[in-house]
Amino acid sequence: MRQDLIIGIAGAGGDGVISAGESLITAAALEGYHGIMTKSFGSQIRGGEASCRVRLSTEAVLNSNGPLDVAVALDWEDFRRFGHELPVEAATIVIYESATGVAPDHLPLEGVTPKVVFSVPITEMAVKNAGTDKAKNIVVTGLLAGWFGIGREGMLSGIRKKFARKGAVVVEGNARAFQAGLEFAQAHPLGEESRLAAPRKGRGANLLTDGNDMCAAAAIFAGCTFFSGYPITPSSEIMQFMDREIWKYGGTVLQAEDEIAGIGAVVGASFAGKKALTATSGPGMSLKTEMLGLASIAELPLVCVNVQRGGPSTGIPTKAEQGDLLQAAFSAHGDCLRPVLAPTSVGDMFGVTVEAFNLAEYYQTPVIILSDQEIAQRKETVESIDATAFPLVERRRPTEAELAKYVRFKLTESGISPISQPGMVGGNYLASGIEHNEAGRPTASGEMHAQMNEKRFRKFNPLKNRRDLFVVEGDADAPIGLVSWGSVAGVAKEALRLARREGLRVKLLVPKLLYPVAEPVYQDFFASVSRGLFIEQSYQGQLYRLVRMYVDVPPLVKPLARSGSNPIQPAEVLERLREMVAALQGEHNNRQPHEKAEG
Amino acid sequence: MMTTTESIPAGKYRAGDYKSDLKPIWCPGCGDYGVVTALTRALAAISRPPHEIAFISGIGCSSRIPGYTTAYGFNTLHGRSLPIAQGIKLANPELLVLAASGDGDGFSIGGGHVAHVIRRNIDLTYIVMDNQIYGLTKGQLSPTSQRGRKTVTSTFGSLEEPVNPLLYVMGYGASFVAQGTPADMPGLARIIEEGIRYPGFAFINVQSPCVTYGSEEQQLKAQKALMHNLESNGHDPTDRAKAIELAREYGTRLHTGVLYRNPNPPPTYGEGVIERQQALKKQAVPRNQILKRFMPSIAV
Repeated sequence: MRQDLIIGIAGAGGDGVISAGESLITAAALEGYHGIMTKSFGSQIRGGEASCRVRLSTEAVLNSNGPLDVAVALDWEDFRRFGHELPVEAATIVIYESATGVAPDHLPLEGVTPKVVFSVPITEMAVKNAGTDKAKNIVVTGLLAGWFGIGREGMLSGIRKKFARKGAVVVEGNARAFQAGLEFAQAHPLGEESRLAAPRKGRGANLLTDGNDMCAAAAIFAGCTFFSGYPITPSSEIMQFMDREIWKYGGTVLQAEDEIAGIGAVVGASFAGKKALTATSGPGMSLKTEMLGLASIAELPLVCVNVQRGGPSTGIPTKAEQGDLLQAAFSAHGDCLRPVLAPTSVGDMFGVTVEAFNLAEYYQTPVIILSDQEIAQRKETVESIDATAFPLVERRRPTEAELAKYVRFKLTESGISPISQPGMVGGNYLASGIEHNEAGRPTASGEMHAQMNEKRFRKFNPLKNRRDLFVVEGDADAPIGLVSWGSVAGVAKEALRLARREGLRVKLLVPKLLYPVAEPVYQDFFASVSRGLFIEQSYQGQLYRLVRMYVDVPPLVKPLARSGSNPIQPAEVLERLREMVAALQGEHNNRQPHEKAEG
Repeated sequence: MMTTTESIPAGKYRAGDYKSDLKPIWCPGCGDYGVVTALTRALAAISRPPHEIAFISGIGCSSRIPGYTTAYGFNTLHGRSLPIAQGIKLANPELLVLAASGDGDGFSIGGGHVAHVIRRNIDLTYIVMDNQIYGLTKGQLSPTSQRGRKTVTSTFGSLEEPVNPLLYVMGYGASFVAQGTPADMPGLARIIEEGIRYPGFAFINVQSPCVTYGSEEQQLKAQKALMHNLESNGHDPTDRAKAIELAREYGTRLHTGVLYRNPNPPPTYGEGVIERQQALKKQAVPRNQILKRFMPSIAV
């Protein structure tokens, strides 16, 4: 029996590949399995190629990467377009549409000869049982349920619910197509060792959602009552969720005329006293930066989500990349600091979003959440979260006494000044992008500018000691250290576990607070480290570069960084770790005789 | 709804209560002083307490204006007074929201926002101080400068037609459109007041001359001789076709007063928001239960 199963399915846009993956992960989640499903598309609006990866496990799933255990190709050309996203190895079980005319011993896969290959007349089975080739994906789910022992009851009842409105004939046709897949698998058995073991926890243990919906739900939990933004892939689902929900909580969604107006309305709502959110992706982030600067100098709380995609410019809108970190840290002109947070998984998005609102309110600042296309759009099982365990922070509003002699930008010891809002008697003030004195009056005084800049930096000092915004795993005094962030942190975590299973002494640091760079946390982490890797999905290795601006990173800690759409695999990280251990061993051996001579 | 023909009750606030003690940076004789005077008179007539007023501007000479009032002010970014003002109004519909811009702010860098605030019909009053020049940056060509106008960035004369702000907003279907000048202070105060009282988006173009970089024929003295008062000329402000005809004369004739007032004000965006919030309120699950939405469900 397997504990873990990675399935990749690819076909043409209309083949229902995504819907098959969704049925599979939903049925598995219902049974209590953990899982992650990622989707990948060509950039066409309709048609073109589509693929999904579904990883199911009896234990928590850290990432969706790794070579496929099962590859399903409805069309080989479409399958091959996904390249590194759907890696096939000799051990991969290959299932493909026989109508492609490809011979099982002549698969169009360079350099790989999978041992187990099934050519299945998928379309023929769909037409024969459901009367339409649209049921191809149903046949596929039947095949997968049969061979790997997952979600049989769930998927069958799903078919009945899904097609109920179309009448009994359609329901029965699709149920027959599912059954046909199941029977085909039973007639060509793979053996017990292929089946997925029973889940550890039972039904109802897990939630199932994606990062965009989780972000929006967390925002509503945090008390957000205003959203404004402009549609952009891959962030639009945040606005869509907000539009379905926020009205119920007395809130408002404004689909703005452009990215600038989107964040502008959010700045306005925050000035009016509301917790407000905007969401975008790279190109929109570029447009929003002037407003981020305004919110910083006017000291107005807001949360801005950047769901990163491939860049620069339009780049690759449908693929994940971690190329916007430096932009987030240094967005907008002028000397300024804006906190940047990054979630590492769909589940983590909840806490990170709540934290973003808390930081924004507490420090009266824009906070940037760096999500990415993978977290945003992958479906993931999440162990149920007790929302009440997350405290909420409100902005420091002036007291009656403070309102009697109100000074908006008072130079306090903490740097945080009480903030009023229109409607408050006595709180009237002028907010502005112009430098101002404590009372909010415009000034060009160099002395006042220096004091205000100092205040706007000083207020963030406590942030650098927020160790709870960092995860450290592994041996505390390990000589090898990994650092990773965002969706890629899941790859690093898995590599760490594999390495420790081999007895390698390694540790991992995952910052959720990316900026300001918390020097003490990195210094402590690197104290025992002589070699290591920053594992990142960007050409430059942007976290590596950012951290080095503030921290003396050991010279043999290097970036393992790669452009988006070329996923980093846990196995290759493990290989690098083994090399580092060997190199350390070599150094040690060379040193031994010398030390003895000294003794 | 109140119109100009109805008498305005004397409020408990005086114009001076809306004027701050901040000294304007404007040149002596600038038309914008007149806008502050007219506006504070209009606000006194309406008499909402200053703390219930949010006054938002962009960047430019004119955009300094919120600081010269006692309202909650927000001097924002170049061209962005409208998006921010809309966010404020939607976040707190109880507030009286004013937005101010210059011609560059409103019809060049921020021109794209005008269409959208009009089609949403958000209940705020937008005052554009139109002086046909960039004054703060010292005399460059503006989107409302006449063709042929020589400035430091049009040394040999402008090669473009000016934007017509009146026709622009009429074209997008604005329900309240007026034009005034500090050369007629009572008239300007009256249209600002009427604009604020109008339930929905109101646009007021103010021919506010630049004493430093403006041309001779734009100065107050010249304006006085050129003004055509719409009311005295018998214009019916509910006649949209006629209003558009008169709007075409922007740049050649200085019409003052209410050009267009839709007698049947269309619903505002804010009304729709409140209606929707009321209708959906009952569907809300407690905030801390919202994650239950993500329980796996096979139902499609």
